Amino acid sequence: MKTTEVLVIGGGPAGLSAALEAASRGSQVTLVDSDLQLGGQLIKQTHKFFGSEDERAGTRGYKIGELLFKELEGLKDCIDVHVNTTVLGYYKEDGVVSLSRGEEDYFRIKPERIVMSTGAMERLIPFPKNDLPGVYGAGAVQTLMNVYGVTPGKRVLMIGAGNIGLIVSYQLMQAGVDVAAVVEFMPKIGGYWVHAAKIRRLGVPILLRHTIVEALGEDVVSGAVIQAVGDKGLEGDPVRIDCDIICLAVGLTPTAELLWQAGCDMQFVPELCGYVPRRDAHMRTSQSHIWVAGDAAGIEEASSAMVEGRLAGLGAARSLGHVKDSDYDAGLASYWQRLSHLRAGEVGEKIRSGLEKCSCDAWEV
Amino acid sequence: MTWKNKAEAVVIGGGIQGVSTAYHLAKMGMKDVVLLEKGTVCSGSTGRCGAGIRAQWGLEMNCRFGLACVDRFEHLHEELGMDVGLNQGGYLMVAYEEGEYNQLLANMALQNRLGIDTHIVDYDEAKEICPGLAAEDAVGFTFNARDGHADPFLTTFAFQEAAKRLGVTIHKYTECTGIRVADDHVVGVDTNRGSIDAPVVVNAAGGYSQFVAKMAGLEIPNYSERHEILITEPVEPGVCPPMLMSFSGNYYIQQRPHGSIIGGCSPEGHPADFQLGNSWDFLEHMSKTFTKLLPRTKGVRVVRQWSGLYNMTPDRAPIMGEADAIKGFFLTCGYSGHGFMFGPVSGDLMAQLILTGKTSIDIDPLHYRRFAEGKLLIEPAVV
Repeated sequence: MKTTEVLVIGGGPAGLSAALEAASRGSQVTLVDSDLQLGGQLIKQTHKFFGSEDERAGTRGYKIGELLFKELEGLKDCIDVHVNTTVLGYYKEDGVVSLSRGEEDYFRIKPERIVMSTGAMERLIPFPKNDLPGVYGAGAVQTLMNVYGVTPGKRVLMIGAGNIGLIVSYQLMQAGVDVAAVVEFMPKIGGYWVHAAKIRRLGVPILLRHTIVEALGEDVVSGAVIQAVGDKGLEGDPVRIDCDIICLAVGLTPTAELLWQAGCDMQFVPELCGYVPRRDAHMRTSQSHIWVAGDAAGIEEASSAMVEGRLAGLGAARSLGHVKDSDYDAGLASYWQRLSHLRAGEVGEKIRSGLEKCSCDAWEV
Repeated sequence: MTWKNKAEAVVIGGGIQGVSTAYHLAKMGMKDVVLLEKGTVCSGSTGRCGAGIRAQWGLEMNCRFGLACVDRFEHLHEELGMDVGLNQGGYLMVAYEEGEYNQLLANMALQNRLGIDTHIVDYDEAKEICPGLAAEDAVGFTFNARDGHADPFLTTFAFQEAAKRLGVTIHKYTECTGIRVADDHVVGVDTNRGSIDAPVVVNAAGGYSQFVAKMAGLEIPNYSERHEILITEPVEPGVCPPMLMSFSGNYYIQQRPHGSIIGGCSPEGHPADFQLGNSWDFLEHMSKTFTKLLPRTKGVRVVRQWSGLYNMTPDRAPIMGEADAIKGFFLTCGYSGHGFMFGPVSGDLMAQLILTGKTSIDIDPLHYRRFAEGKLLIEPAVV
């Protein structure tokens, strides 16, 4: 059976950063990702990042991905990369991980340490015919357009006015796709004002206090029915919208199955959008050989995911005896400073209160 | 649910044995039956089982029992007012060795004598019964069309709802912590939520029944064994209509109504403990069994694997009866992997025993005193 010092599961911003950090500190790393290429959501993010210089503010997401790939190239002797490789299960009794490369090639790895950076899943909302072809998650639409260069259809109804709904609406318009409207259940736009302003300037209505009632069509989507919502439920007349795509941008939830399988202490934290593992200041879970980073630790964004990945990689490397205490303390302090900046102010308030519920300074030995 | 500290009977365990016994007690007129379940109803072995129902056994008593269960399952939805997911695709027994085949033939002769219509089928007929089958290496097959499988969740919930309608109180998240005995008679139970006085207590605690027995000061030789099982993503229905079972092949496999295929085998080398974990060696072993036996499953994903406890006795036959030195303390446990199929009938028999002292099928041989007396009931037809 294949062995490795550090197995990193998920090669998005968090996992890439964890693998790079652990390898640069002298660990032998195996990085696996179920997709055909590394980078996770970064490779489809064409918008510029916010934050400070440390977090490469002003750089577009896919460019940040390219920087990480370059760093990976320099450490390729220490990082064994497996793409198109899905982790099937974690077996708690002997710590073995089973995997499948493509649909055929099944194998196992017994790692000494694991970083779980499995990211997030898109949420769906229930309405009649939500399983018709033409109903997409926003992430899927972004993948189709920005990774494969395929437009999903001609006219889209976007559900959700958070950052993802707003950004993907804008990207759809850039690709020449009509956006009929953005429908938002809440009385307020959830995303940044700058993203909302861009699509309003292009004439797309953002309908607050509205929801989708049903999808229309027999074999594929041919339209949707939306309606206003009030305190007592639906109100006003249902309105038919002609569209061939319904795009759901109604939030994400951490991909936590492997953490559950591993027996990590889990906690439901609404601010972090679902069940997340309890963790210490080193991003270590209650299972002493398992670390967590990125959206799997709670839905946030790519910049903090990358710093969490660094923390997890550093922690895993130190637990293997690869990092001097003084170097470790310096790394820990600098990464936490960066995280504090990213989570400062009003925007970070929700994350801060969520993290308070599931963090401890250190696990009792 | 309000807590009453008195009952006519307390049943410990919310699996098929517990809900069926509680239901039958109430059906036979008992007014105040309380069922205790430490988790949720059907969360233990019943909800984890392979769900087969068969009359193809090798011991006369088990054949009679099995036939009564098939009869009962055929009418359960009418009696309980709810679908129980019965699928009578038959049991196709597959023998890969001469000795095993001869045993199947001997079993068949016994079954036929008892009115069970088991017959020999050749490989062509076997493939008609099970279009997805590949078993060129089999020596022979027997088949009983009335065997099959049911949905353990639907069946248990159907009993639960029917029991509730008859006035049974079901306390979830309520763990029995002690059994009180006075003057050789049970007088009640203690739980994490309070105590209940009762002259009748039924141990239907499945994988944990030996601990419950011990609370009353009774030692029974039961032990619990982890058995693993897995389920695939759905394939088209009709790949495997019957339950496939083989002793030498070490498998039981069936297809759910929505197309998923479910299967398990006997564990090898796993210690008898209470760990409900999973192993990759089971996944690999069972995947090989699936793809060889049902080639349609090649390339099909396994969506879930899990495990459950078999509550085993030394002869793999259940323990049913009243404790010798503790009047009012009844046991219905040790079903050794066959509790689900026996449940609808065994609950009935337990209620008869408790309320009348007599049963319509003779269960005296199933009393635990058989172990001390050396009168073991060795069943040849088990996986």
